[in-house]
Amino acid sequence: MASPQTLATAEHLPKRGCDTTPGPPRQLPRQRAGTTPQMRGRYPDYDVLAAAAHWDAKTRRAVFERVACVPPIRFFDEQQERTLRVFCDVVMGQDSEPRIPVLEMVDTKLHAGRLDGFRHHDMPPDPQTWRQVAANLDRSARERGCTGGFADAGSEIQHEIVEGFSKGRLDWDLPVDKAWGVVMRGVLSAFYSHPWAWNEIGFGGPAYPRGYARLGAGQREHWESPPSFEVDPVGDVRERGLE
Amino acid sequence: MRERLRVALKGSSRPRGNDSAFLLDPRSRAVPGRESMRRYRPDDAVDMLIVGAGAGGATLAQRLARSGWRVLVLEAGPFWDPDEDWVSDEAGSHHLYWTEERVIGGKDPVELGKNNSGRGVGGSMIHYAGFTPRFHPSDFDVRSRDGVAADWPIGYEDLKPHYERLERELPVAGELWPWGDPHGYPHAPHPVAGGALRAMAGARKLGIEMRVGPVGITNGSFGNRPHCIYRGFCLQGCKVGAKASPLVTHIPDALAHGVEVRADCMVTRVQSDESGRCTGVTYFHDGQERFQAAQAVTVAGYSIETPRLLLHSAGGRFPGGLGNQAGLLGRSIMVQGAPQVAGRFPEEMRMYKAPPPEISSEQFYETDPARGFLRGFSIQTVGPLPIGWAEHVLADGHWGQALREYMRDYNHWYAIGVLSELLPRAENRVTLAQETDRHGMPVARLDYTQCENDRANIAYAKRTLREILEAAGAQDILTIDRYAHLVGGCPMSHTPQTGVVDSDHKVWGVPNLFVCDGSVMPTQSAANPALTIMALASRLAQRLDDKRIDPGRGRGLLREDAAA
Repeated sequence: MASPQTLATAEHLPKRGCDTTPGPPRQLPRQRAGTTPQMRGRYPDYDVLAAAAHWDAKTRRAVFERVACVPPIRFFDEQQERTLRVFCDVVMGQDSEPRIPVLEMVDTKLHAGRLDGFRHHDMPPDPQTWRQVAANLDRSARERGCTGGFADAGSEIQHEIVEGFSKGRLDWDLPVDKAWGVVMRGVLSAFYSHPWAWNEIGFGGPAYPRGYARLGAGQREHWESPPSFEVDPVGDVRERGLE
Repeated sequence: MRERLRVALKGSSRPRGNDSAFLLDPRSRAVPGRESMRRYRPDDAVDMLIVGAGAGGATLAQRLARSGWRVLVLEAGPFWDPDEDWVSDEAGSHHLYWTEERVIGGKDPVELGKNNSGRGVGGSMIHYAGFTPRFHPSDFDVRSRDGVAADWPIGYEDLKPHYERLERELPVAGELWPWGDPHGYPHAPHPVAGGALRAMAGARKLGIEMRVGPVGITNGSFGNRPHCIYRGFCLQGCKVGAKASPLVTHIPDALAHGVEVRADCMVTRVQSDESGRCTGVTYFHDGQERFQAAQAVTVAGYSIETPRLLLHSAGGRFPGGLGNQAGLLGRSIMVQGAPQVAGRFPEEMRMYKAPPPEISSEQFYETDPARGFLRGFSIQTVGPLPIGWAEHVLADGHWGQALREYMRDYNHWYAIGVLSELLPRAENRVTLAQETDRHGMPVARLDYTQCENDRANIAYAKRTLREILEAAGAQDILTIDRYAHLVGGCPMSHTPQTGVVDSDHKVWGVPNLFVCDGSVMPTQSAANPALTIMALASRLAQRLDDKRIDPGRGRGLLREDAAA
């Protein structure tokens, strides 16, 4: 049982000693309005898409397409897809549905040949880097006795490999720290461009042409929602008959 | 007296010699006059052909056109219509950046793309944060003062009248500025958000003064430019039209005075003849190679593309590239160390609100021997949106559930950053790489390595940021190391042996070729470069115009050429 905490303290944060082992975080309420990844979040009654009528048409179309159109995988082959799908879940902590389709979003960008404007001199082009990362994740898993590759390795081994990847500590056939930068840049910009992630973190959204008026500490626009933290998720779900 | 009365009644004064804000359409963000703009034939040798429609190129074009020059601007990117082309969204703004392939190397490689490279009419000022500080007088003679870096062949006083003029044109909003050459601003400071107030209070406890501004964002009535709505998407292109960029501050007036802005035209070569004069440029439009004749050419493609183009224009009398007789073309590229430190507060700060550029301090700008390194840094604010915040959390070493936890905590954080002046080093340079782009032109390679002074500056600056946030009551701290703002590559110099262009931006050894962008800066300063690039362009226009033989007939001959 976790000790009582509030958002005014920072005791829930990883650097303050909070437990960050895999698995769903404790104390987070279940989402009541809109969707968040895994239906957990800090703002259970906030749905950024509810404000979409106040956005300009171009922005609205761009954001809604991310929700409505999950493109097929076209760039990665089947094995790469299998490996990288699990990798994306592990690095973003997506352990259940609903998931933000990170791999599909990355695949679309690579398929379309969209680049980020730079390549390290000792690195292959970004699309090639992604393919090599997939192969190397599988190789690292096999070295740890998982013949099926990264996707079939247990959660503990997957986390061990990703931790090594993030620290540049693996012996791969490309510079590991730079490869981490390439893939995480793609993963993060996919995940946090999705309005479900905005719901989870309480981001106010595009706000054009409406804008923001309440800028002070602790202030909210009327459509923004207060955070909630101490809700007991089990009791909350039972109380509201969500099971 | 009449002017004073008018200002008292109607707000800040209308800038002289630039009607852009008044030419804009109040009902639409598209620049008026684009359909009816003047067009030049390919064989019509325009008085001045400008490559690049950013801070340098667009300002120069507007000024020269006002003086009767026949000006054509070739821009590699699109002619933006903010209503149609831009979204109020981070990931959807990728097309604002120069994302074509470039290679980076060195011990401390500088990532390019969204952080520092723009494209399209308006250039990088489309996605800059909006800070528009002046350089300090000390920036122009660093070598004489501190024995490092370089002296500029011009001084602060040469730019001062242009700073003043541009601050009215943008217009700049901010408090009375006590640092460098103290000065005021035409628009009052904007309101700031809760996080900035906390950071200011923390700084005050340490004896560090922070002030609001200076930002090129209207704060009140200014022609047909709308006011800011504090939505926080300055770095994604201002759909509102409140943030200054050449697209709204100089292009409308330029079009009204006969400038042609030819968009989607990638210049691959500046052509020169046997006498060493340039005759025009070769460019690609719709996949086809074309030629445009010109009396004179100005390259304003910024610190990567300008050296790349001049290197690729080698041939004839210029085997190493145009302006490369001293072997300095593409060298001394500079960036600023720009680490950001974020602090966690008990209340919600919601740092996505209000423009990212809110407050700044130049108290650490000048050399202080007690700090153990030369030159200094300025402190500013950054306001990362969700993707930017995720990159910040990742850089502090978090992924998986830990990253998600810090992301869920987004609304409790506030980030401040610095711009550390890093010193010019000849080995930090742009060269042509082996691989080529879709036009067959070799892509640029940028190598970058810091020196000891640079590392000491960045480390000290990061400590200062941390102390400010701790004094403000931060409960947790996350740090990201990054760079900002490219300059250099074609340094301005007193002699042909020590740089690429002279004090009038003229490329050494080529009588009718100029460079007018951030690449001419011999030192970086600890200020954001946009306003100074514009001021350099404004000064160059004045110099060019003062020297013309025959303004009436619109021929871009320069007096010294005629004498030769």
